This record gives sequence, structure tokens and C-alpha cells, in this order.
Amino acid sequence: MLPNLHTDCELASSGSFKLRFETVLPTIWSVARRKQLNSNKDALWYKDAIIYQVHVRTFHDSNGDGIGDFLGLEQKLDYLQELGVSAIWLMPFFPSPLRDDGYDIADYDSVHPSYGTLEDFRKVLESAHQRGIRVIIEMVLNHTSDQHPWFQEARSSRDSPRRDWYVWSDTDTLYKDARIIFLDTEKSNWAWDPTSKSFYWHRFFSHQPDLNYDNPAVREQMWNVMKFWLEMGVDGFRLDAVPYLVEREATNCENLPETHNILRELRRRLDVHFPGRMLLAEANQWPADLRPYFGDSDEFHMAFHFPLMPRMFMGLKLEDRKPITEILQQTPEIPPSCQWSLFLRNHDELTLEMVTDIERDYMYDMYAQDKTMRLNLGIRRRLAPLLNNDRRRIELMNGMLMSLPGTPVIYYGDEIAMGDNISLGDRNGVRTPMQWTGGWNAGFSTAEPEKLYAPLIHDPVYGYPAVNVAAQRESEHSLFHWMRRIIAVRKSSAVFGRGSIEFLYPANHRILAYLRRLGSESVLIVNNLSSAAQAVELDLRRYKGNVLIEMFGNNLFPRVGELPYLLTLGPYQSYWFRLRRV
Amino acid sequence: MEDGNFLTDDFLRQLINVGEVDILVGLPTHNNAKTVGAIVHTIRTGILRSFPRERAVIINADGGSRDGTPDLITGISIDDVRPDSSVYALRTLHAISTRYASTPHSGVALRTILAAAELLRAKACIVISPESESITPEWISSLLRPVYYDGFDLVSPTYRRHKFDGLLMTNLLYPMVRALYGVRIREAYMPEFGFSGRLGSQFLGQNRWNDGSGENGIELRLTLAAVTGGFRICQSFLGEKDHVERRAADLVPTLRQSVGVLFSALDSDFPVWSSVSGSQEVPTTGSDMELLLDPLRINRKRLRDMFVSGVSELESVFQSILSPSTLAELKRIAGLREEEFRYPAELWVRTVYEFAAAYQKSVINRDHVIQALAPLFRGRVFTFVVENRNESARDVAKNIEGLCLEFERLKPYLLDMWKSKE
Repeated sequence: MLPNLHTDCELASSGSFKLRFETVLPTIWSVARRKQLNSNKDALWYKDAIIYQVHVRTFHDSNGDGIGDFLGLEQKLDYLQELGVSAIWLMPFFPSPLRDDGYDIADYDSVHPSYGTLEDFRKVLESAHQRGIRVIIEMVLNHTSDQHPWFQEARSSRDSPRRDWYVWSDTDTLYKDARIIFLDTEKSNWAWDPTSKSFYWHRFFSHQPDLNYDNPAVREQMWNVMKFWLEMGVDGFRLDAVPYLVEREATNCENLPETHNILRELRRRLDVHFPGRMLLAEANQWPADLRPYFGDSDEFHMAFHFPLMPRMFMGLKLEDRKPITEILQQTPEIPPSCQWSLFLRNHDELTLEMVTDIERDYMYDMYAQDKTMRLNLGIRRRLAPLLNNDRRRIELMNGMLMSLPGTPVIYYGDEIAMGDNISLGDRNGVRTPMQWTGGWNAGFSTAEPEKLYAPLIHDPVYGYPAVNVAAQRESEHSLFHWMRRIIAVRKSSAVFGRGSIEFLYPANHRILAYLRRLGSESVLIVNNLSSAAQAVELDLRRYKGNVLIEMFGNNLFPRVGELPYLLTLGPYQSYWFRLRRV
Repeated sequence: MEDGNFLTDDFLRQLINVGEVDILVGLPTHNNAKTVGAIVHTIRTGILRSFPRERAVIINADGGSRDGTPDLITGISIDDVRPDSSVYALRTLHAISTRYASTPHSGVALRTILAAAELLRAKACIVISPESESITPEWISSLLRPVYYDGFDLVSPTYRRHKFDGLLMTNLLYPMVRALYGVRIREAYMPEFGFSGRLGSQFLGQNRWNDGSGENGIELRLTLAAVTGGFRICQSFLGEKDHVERRAADLVPTLRQSVGVLFSALDSDFPVWSSVSGSQEVPTTGSDMELLLDPLRINRKRLRDMFVSGVSELESVFQSILSPSTLAELKRIAGLREEEFRYPAELWVRTVYEFAAAYQKSVINRDHVIQALAPLFRGRVFTFVVENRNESARDVAKNIEGLCLEFERLKPYLLDMWKSKE
């Protein structure tokens, strides 16, 4: 789609949008690439995607200032292509005081100068598209930074034209039923503004005032922001904190019908003006509460399945499939065009909001005995340290990530088992520089080490001399190459992204077994959650006559007969079988 | 049954599916459908409440029930096949069942449970009686925690009982085990108990299973094995124990299972008990005995009549078992009127010790020795009831303690008889 200059001019004249004519031509070029990308795949591309989550700051520094940037990211797109990812999700890269790692946006229409320029971003976009990699960017709709000019203007006077862009009150007693999300730092969802002598509403940090979505001007402005990036060619948005857009008295101010109305309107505009683009919801909710965010295929295309993630860790530690199957049994059906987004770790803490108290205590005791590992209601650790750097468990968890219904999201560095640094505050311990080599600054930057935005991991187990991309590329049996293979196997069949799931329930509860089916294709996945070898009998009678073809080695296993199909699995072992009648 | 294939293939398959566990609850049953449903729910509640993180299994060893007992037990499994939204559990809880025989036998049942515990490498195990309707979830914790957390190998229960319940325990088993083995275990013949995997495995390996003789009075054998093996023993107070009405005809089988086992153990355990003097308390959580005093109807006349007729009809048997002086004294008290009748502690202890020695010497068929004790025990019960009918709990406990001391005081008398055999 070509940019709609008429609309852009309208926006420019509104004063709320910075139109840069010098950027139009590259935009046209990018859009042309996008069209080419779309012609290769269908509108449901996100169902087959392998998404790689990366923060520009953390990935690669091209100019030696110690901070990752867009051009650095562009230089590493070949790596991502080699890994097999088909989409990257970029965390916030907008101008920001960075008091919440960029989730406190001070300007929606530009990029943070530390990361480069808009032109640099376009280069990333184009280079990614040339490699068949789509680009999903973060969009924080719910709130801005308190440094955003909108808020500065709003607080400047009670009579400010922007005053009603935020939620103000003379008391801090409204919306008392809304929970406080950042329990460790915030005492209230209201904060006092000494300038205008009133309280403003914030669901997250107090420096992140919530926008007032009851104001039509705000809704229009935020669509304009999205349109700006869509016209540049981004393939989708990960919309942050969507349950909290609207506040109503006597509710918990989450998942309100008015919020869904706003989201439906955004989707409608997206479908009309930018078909083939995708919206991914960040809504840390129970499955039943998440379901409305898909609507009738008229809200989000995708949503993160938050409750599944901690239960995968729980099932592994308990050596019991029950937590995993239970939460998936409770997960409602979603429209055919929609998709769950699955992840093991991300830039935040391993959130334990969507578990019971008993489960949370268990998770803390098992995965975060050191209390400094705990943050808010979660555990601020990376995948490998959570799993004691046990390669078998890392593979098992990634195998489930790749084979359960949904689109997998890999957090940068987890493909090489990077570690974390819990001595860094907040969630910065899981946001350290990507470890490319064993050399200077891990190949991340040529800057002096003290200039790096965050210290490198140095410890003997996870330090960059031991864990880095270059070394793993050299080793055929490295986790990096294993990840490449499993991604390739997943991409070899649409059944993983689009197929149905049916759990088998063998009497051995340590075995998580399920069938993925799409059309005439059936794939059997068998996971041993136990640290010990296991025998399992699977009821596969309805597949009598089929042979099992192990998908990594393409080896044949015995034909299915009338009797239960006996398998033995080593500790934490998985099998992926294609069922084939021959 | 061949020792090598003691467990059935089907049960073995179920055990494979259960895998290694931390906690094992054994439940021997036979036609207990009326009570077992509530009991297994209580067990499950106890596990979920006290051991929510541990890998646990409930194992039912059934002796050929025809009332659906095993189905009631397996139905309380917690799994993802039949999710039960009314129960919250962190992990799967298997409840599995095996029919070890078509007729019940507590020894075979416990052997089955012990074998399962060993195969599953259970760290802490308990056995619960299918008749314990007064069970509460706290029982599970009380019996398991000392093993699981404190390193004990055997947890023997103590109860709040009616003062006239468990009279075989208070008048014979407790004082005699205490006097001979030197440990004050209130319930050596335990309806419920906890044990470590270590003790279970050792007992499974050492007990005489092949000829079947090791299967009688299995619970008492386990207690004695723990004592003589130097295992760490403690007691846990469980609370009130149901009063179970027993028919008069039940006494002889009970004596065989308890007193018979004790007498037979004295031979192999002689090196241990002959060197023990006095007795020691065992660590106890909660009270070691609580007594209920509410009125209980006991047919004292029948007890005395059975004593009197027994002394008369079995005199020739007693002549082989008892010393002349003891027999003469028994004949004397048998002639007393009911209101004058007393079977004093010292005479009772001498009687029991002489029976033990006679059993050891096999002066007559050993089973006959045990049967002959039945009428005399009834006489002792008559006296205990009369002496304690108006007593406070404290005084009843004092009287039991007095009897225990009598058993300890007269232990040399038993040793003398034992040595004279040699």
C-alpha cells in the first residue's frame, strides 16, 4: 500500500504529527518490499512465524558508544536469518527518559537518539524484509512518560487543552478496586502532581501517567501514531498493557467493555488500511479473560499466553504434566484466524501473577531461593540459569515451546543459553549485552567496557568467553545449532502453527504427549518431564497401521498396532514423530 | 505365590506409571465400601494439606472385596484425565489398587504395600486402617512428618480411647513389650503407623515370608523389628480412636496375631531383650495416652463366667503351662464370689510369663497355649474393669503404670524360666 499523502497532510495540519517529506520515498520503497513479502505468504503469516524478541540497545553497537543501535541490529540480521527466525519483535526504541527501559515513551514519532535515526530504523526494516523477516514493534498505548510533551502540557494548567488527555482527580480515592501492579515500588495508582495540584492515574510506575481513552482526541492520536509506523512498513505491533486503557468506578479497571471497543476500532482501521498487519496483545490475564481480546477475529490477531509459561517451568520441576495440561484445558477456543503467542522468557520477570499462592510459593522456592531473584510477583532470571544450565531441560522446554499450539517467541540470547546478572537492579539483569564472541566486549561494542550501557556477564559459567555466538557456530552440537534444527523442523510443517492439539493421557504422568493435526497430517509429540528414564504406553489404536517417523533424524519406528505403543525415553527426552501410513 | 513374582504384572504396570514417590499411603481393605470412601477423602485432604509438593501415592491392597471398595479408592486419584475442579492440587496424586488374593490377610496386604514402597523408593510411608472412621487429615501429617522431616523410622500412634478400649494392649502387649524390650510403645500392635523406606525395605528383606509364618501379626513384627534393629522410633498422638465392638469369638484370633507373635519373637530376640533392664520413654508428639471416661456397658458377669469355666475345663492344659503355685492361685480366685473376685497384677504377670515360657518350650501345641490364655485374659479384664470403673483418667493411667512396673519387676522370673529351658 502506498502512503496516503492526503491523510498525512491532514495529520500534519493537526499539529500532532511530524510529517517528513524527505522520508516518503524510502517509505515507498519499504512498502514495496512489504507487498513482496505479503505476496509470498498469506495473511495468517503470524501463525507460522518464529518470533525473536530483541532490544536494539542490547543487540549490537555499530558506532562504538557502548549502546546497541539500529545499524548494529542490521548487521546481525544475517545471524537471525541463519537461526531461522521469521519475525523480530523490537522492544521500545522511542525517545524516552528510560526509567522503564523505554516503556516510558516521550515521543511516539521518532527513535531514541542512542539507537540511531528514523532512517536507520528504515534500513533495519528494509534489510529484514529483504531476508523474509518481518518486523513487529512495541507500542505502549496505555501511558506515556511524564516527560512526554503531552503530559507536560496537561499538567501545566488545569485549563490546558491537553488536560483531558490524562486521568486526573482531586482525590486519590477513585477506582479503589484496581490492583497495584508494581507492588514493590508503588503504593497507589494515583500520584500527586504538585504543578497542577491534583492526582493523576497510573497503573504502572508513577512516572508513567495513563492516557485518558475516554477522550476521542487521544484515541485518534494513538491511531495516528500507529499509522505512522505502519506506513513506514512495520508488520505488526505488540501492544503493551492493553487491559488497562479505560477506568470505571466499582470495577478493577481491567478488561472493560469500553477497552474492547477501543481495541476493536483500532483493528477495524488496521484491516481497512493495512491488511496483513498484525496486532499482538500483552494482557497478563487468565485464559478466560484473555479470550475477549480475540473478539470475533475483530480485536487482536495474537495474544501472549501468560499462564502457560510458569506452568511449563512448574511441570518440569514437579516432573508432572498436570500444570501444563490443566491450563491448556482451561484455555478457551479462539477464532481460526487467531493465535496464541508462547514464550519461555522475555525482558520482564517470569511473572507469577497468573498462578495460585501455593504455586507461587513453590515457584519461588524452586527457582528463586535467593530473594534478590524475586521482583514484583515474579522471578527476574533468564532461561538457562532458571534451568541450571541443564542442556537437556533447555532443549525440552524449547521443544515444548515449538510444538505446543501457538507462535513461539525466543528472547534474545536464550538460543545460546545466555546467563543473567541479578546484581543489576529491576529487570536489567536479563537485559545485558548480547554475547557475540569471546573477544572484546563480547563482540557487542568497541567501546571501553565502562561505557557499555550495562556490564557484560563475566561469570565462569555464563560469561561471554564461555557462552557466545561465535563459539557455538563453530560447534555442531551447540545449543545454537540445535535451536536452528528445531526451528527448521517446526517450519517444515504447518501443523505446528495451525494444527489442532489433542492430549494423550498416558497413565505415566511424567509424560506429556499430544497429537498435532492439520488436514491429513498428524504429528505426535512425546516429552519426558522427568529427570529419570521413563517407559510409557500410548494408546494409538486409531492410528493402527501407521509408522512413526522421528522428525529430527527421519528414522522409522515400529508400526502402530492394537496394543499400547510402548516408548522409553531418557531423562528430559522428547520425540517428535510424523505419523504416516505406508 | 512365587516370591519372585509377588506382585502382579498389572500392579507392576501401575507402579511404573506412579514412579518414584516421597509419600506412600497404604490402605489394606476387604469389603470396606461403607467406610473407605470417607477415609480416602480424608487421606487425600491430609496429603494435599500437609504435603502439597511431595510426590505421593495411595496404594490399596485389597483382599478380594466384592463391594466395590477398590473402585472407591482409585476414584479419588487426582490427575488430568478426569479433572476435578473441586480439588486443588499442585501435582498428580495416584490412587492405585491391587487385589493380592481372593481372601483377606493383613500380612500379605502389608507385604504388598512394603514391596510397592520399596519399588517406588518411598521416603515416608503410612498404613491406615480401613475401619478408622475417626481419621482426620491431621493424622496423615502426624504419622508422616516425623519420618519425612525428622528422620524417624517408625511412628507409632497414640490415641484418645475409652479407658476400657484396647484392654489387650493395656494389660498385656504394652507392659510386656515395655518390660522386655525396654521401650515404652503404647501401641506396639498398630492399627495405623508410619515408617521410613529404610525400615520398610529392611523388614521386607528380613521377615520370613516364604513359609507364611512371617505374615501373622505383621504390624507387631514391624514394631519389634524396628526396636531390635536399632531404628529410630517415636509416637504421635492422633486423637480419638473409634470404639470397635468385638465379638467374643474374635479374641483367640486376636491373641494369635498379637500375643502369639510376641511370644514367638522372644526366641529370636532373646539376645536383645535378655540384656535390657528397665524401660525408656520414646519421643512423643502430643499426649502418649488420653482416656475417655464415659459409661460403657461391659458384661462383667460373662467375663468372670468364662474365666471360671476356662480354669475348670482347661485345668489339664494349664498343668502343662503354669507352675503349680500359679495354677493353684488361679483355681482359688476362680472360686471366689463375683464381688470378691480379683485377678491381681502380680498373678497376671506371672501367668503371662509362664505362658510365654511354655510357648517357647512348646510344652503343648503352641496354638493351644495361645487359646488357653483367652479365658484367663477375660478374668484379668474383669478385674481391670472393676478396679477402674469409677477411677479418674489419671488413676487409670496410674494403675496401668503399676501393671507395667510389675511386668518389669518380674522380668527376672521370665529370664529364669527361659534359662532353665536351656
